[in-house]
Amino acid sequence: MKLADLTHARTDYNYAFLDEHAKREVRRALLKAVAVPGYQVPYASREVPMARGWGTGGLQVTLSIIGESSRLKVIDQGADDSVNAANLRRFVARMTGVQTTTDALEATVIQSRHRIPEEELQTGQVLVLQVPLPDPFSYVEPSRSLARELHADSDYALLWLRLYEDLTLHGEVLTGADHPVLVQGHYVMAPSPIPRYDLAALHQAHHLTLLSAGREKRLYAVPPYTDVLPLAFDDVPFQIERQQGWVCQQSGAQHGFMNEVPQEDGRSYVLSDTGYLEKLLRQKRGEPAIIGARRKSQQDQPGSAL
Amino acid sequence: MAYVAARGGEQAIQNAEALALRHLQTVRPEDIAWVEEHLSLLVDRVMGEGSLYAPQLAALALAQSGGDLAEAVLLLRAYRSTQPRIALAQPVTDASLTTVRRVSAAFKDLPGGQHLGPTLDYSHRTLRLELLNGTALQLPQVQQHPHPAPRSAPGIAGWLRQDGLLGTWPDSPSTELPDITRDPLTYPAPRGARLQSLARAETGGLLALGYSNMVGYSGVHPTVAEVRLAHTEVLLTHPVTGALFSAGRARVSRAEILAPLHSETTGLSLGMCGTLGWNETKLIAGGVLDLAMDTPNVHPALKEEFVLNHTESVEASGFCLHFKLPHYVTFASELDRLRSAGTALPSEEVTS
Amino acid sequence: MTLASSLLLPPQLLQVGALLEVSGLQMVYGRVSAVRGVSFELYPGEVLGIVGESGSGKSTVLRLLNLEERPSAGTYRLAHHQDLFALSRQEQRAARVRDIGIVYQNPHLGLRLRYSSSGNIAERMLTAGERRFRVLREVARASLSASEFPLIRMDDPPQVLSGGMQQRVQLAKAIALEPQLLLLDEPTTGLDVSVQARVLDTLRHLQSERAVSMIIVSHDLGVIRTLADRVLVMRHGQVVERGLTDQVLEDPQHPYTQQLVHAKL
Repeated sequence: MKLADLTHARTDYNYAFLDEHAKREVRRALLKAVAVPGYQVPYASREVPMARGWGTGGLQVTLSIIGESSRLKVIDQGADDSVNAANLRRFVARMTGVQTTTDALEATVIQSRHRIPEEELQTGQVLVLQVPLPDPFSYVEPSRSLARELHADSDYALLWLRLYEDLTLHGEVLTGADHPVLVQGHYVMAPSPIPRYDLAALHQAHHLTLLSAGREKRLYAVPPYTDVLPLAFDDVPFQIERQQGWVCQQSGAQHGFMNEVPQEDGRSYVLSDTGYLEKLLRQKRGEPAIIGARRKSQQDQPGSAL
Repeated sequence: MAYVAARGGEQAIQNAEALALRHLQTVRPEDIAWVEEHLSLLVDRVMGEGSLYAPQLAALALAQSGGDLAEAVLLLRAYRSTQPRIALAQPVTDASLTTVRRVSAAFKDLPGGQHLGPTLDYSHRTLRLELLNGTALQLPQVQQHPHPAPRSAPGIAGWLRQDGLLGTWPDSPSTELPDITRDPLTYPAPRGARLQSLARAETGGLLALGYSNMVGYSGVHPTVAEVRLAHTEVLLTHPVTGALFSAGRARVSRAEILAPLHSETTGLSLGMCGTLGWNETKLIAGGVLDLAMDTPNVHPALKEEFVLNHTESVEASGFCLHFKLPHYVTFASELDRLRSAGTALPSEEVTS
Repeated sequence: MTLASSLLLPPQLLQVGALLEVSGLQMVYGRVSAVRGVSFELYPGEVLGIVGESGSGKSTVLRLLNLEERPSAGTYRLAHHQDLFALSRQEQRAARVRDIGIVYQNPHLGLRLRYSSSGNIAERMLTAGERRFRVLREVARASLSASEFPLIRMDDPPQVLSGGMQQRVQLAKAIALEPQLLLLDEPTTGLDVSVQARVLDTLRHLQSERAVSMIIVSHDLGVIRTLADRVLVMRHGQVVERGLTDQVLEDPQHPYTQQLVHAKL
């Protein structure tokens, strides 16, 4: 017998690229994550044919849960056509033959970097968020082993202290995106660098949210109907981004999270969610478009005309 | 054209890829073979960091990436990810090695001798410009030594251990074999996991951190017990007959570093780093770091968690380069905060 | 009740007798016995001094009382806690935050030097569960005032403050939640003599105004004499003499205490 008889030439990729062992491990980790909302489950993140930091965590989750009846939407900064989203979508489609869509209502799996779609997601939909730094302690306590102890002790004083310092020294909480949130009253998690405006979409949602960091090798989850509340003092209201008065140049909409586009003589604004924008434009043109419900907005938030 | 092009994203990336790979249109198999033969240490570095012994594929990865090391390592790792595991080889022992180079700084001479092997350590670093003219290189005849070195001289660690100078040293190798590519790494890392991480660590990163320790940050006072470059047989057990057979030969290397123990008992501590292929810089830096990471009250940048997390080639380069991706939503969020902080009232008034 | 104490759980039962009882305390590190069978009590409103040279085990005792390590043996009754050493990790953490305050000799052990001074105090309260910004500010102000720290600098980070001011911040942090017990480990060592005197004054005022129960560790007999009602003399991990401060320092019985007193005073 020769060595060559013990193996075989690899010509095709397994369905969804990852081998079954890898997919099973990710799914097991996901089940643990769903069972303990907000808790970071370590997993042996595999290398895939794209660089770390470019969505390999989200990709591994998508590859592990995608099936023949799935419909996949991939966005980056809210846009389907972002080069990175296009690349990821292309890869999954190649490895599975899955149907892809830009419609947030039609998709069964939405993989996203840094945004949650404007239209309210429903039961049965899965949102996969790409996470660079899964630990909310990253900026105040970079040691992962120390951070793990803090989570185990529910000792989040350092995170609250950061809010205190911002308010004391600057009068405002300065966290931009990725503001830490308390999940079901227990674990504090990093929601991924979504804007503060998007945090409300995680709270008591109909859909399942999975968050995965490929490089840091951890994933976590927010099951449907889970409390997700941004860390904020009882007597200092949580502020979302201030975009009052902003009008989307293309659709005329005065709601929804917008991108600011510098111009030579000023600036213009346009909705960041391109799938949603597309629907509004179709509606404006008198063409058929099924537009989903607006997400619930923040309660009692001054300045949240969004 | 905006970075987030409407309707053009897919076309844009196809064009970008075609531009980057244009040079490959004239590459022939002989060119890949040339890389493998003439840039063998670079190939070794890629295999070491890629944790996959496949010289031809490493050469291909280098050619394909235009010589971008991090990119070549990523290619190899991604490929490795798809390969099935068919068997575990027998552990590499001194007996299975054919040593090509072995030097020790600890003693002037030692059993098996100082075996220089192929090295540029003592040569003059001048560019051989004659190679540009097509002139053949004149090299002195390599003379056969009257007493050739043994196939594989034993390491000096055993001798030190017999003398009672080596701190704690297990009597037999551990049977525990973690796999950092299959199991998540937690700290403190099991010994096997640390050695695996060092074996495939990014050479430049290890060098920077190792160097800081060598010049005094929580300094370890290292002495190189040995640096060894060798070929090893990759021995497998036949699934039917149970006989041992060789699946081939691989280049491997390792260094053992000695330093005084940091504890009440006197003696020496042994640090170690091994890797696929030959890479002396990585071996010595890695071996020194192996010791430094266990020093009590060590500098925060030399703690195990810091060293292993930040010398991961694929992770580090990927994350570094990911900052090129659009971040305009997070930036908008940040701008919003900075703009509002500028106009905010002092905290007392906000809360009253 | 004061603002800070309204944060506490329902009021503790009135203690008649000792506030704190430590019994059979032992700490062994490898072959070294740092603390060998130490027992003592502390009464409400009292200041107990522990004096000895370095290596006597006095700082180890303090660390154990602060629940930083588990002892090799011993029990530790404090207020309503029957034995703090027997509690779980979570319970110990909760007890430490609410019932014990500590001031270290070295401010970097007790403070986050780069965060604001008021933030250091706020952190304590945040760990105890306070979630109102206004309350954090008010309690920080009140504690810093009680520690005779200039409020105009309350948001400065400790790293730009003098040694004496840093100790006041530590003190403010330690008393913010009006703990049962205040521990002080060489609180004035290393400070200028005049600064030492002022910090000691502050401690004396605090003690008389709030009847804080304190255990103060020092190798400096002057400090002990100024603050402590009673004193324990430690040597090689054991208590060799104890009693009222004046008595022990004026009329030491144990030869070691005699040596100490005559060398220092």
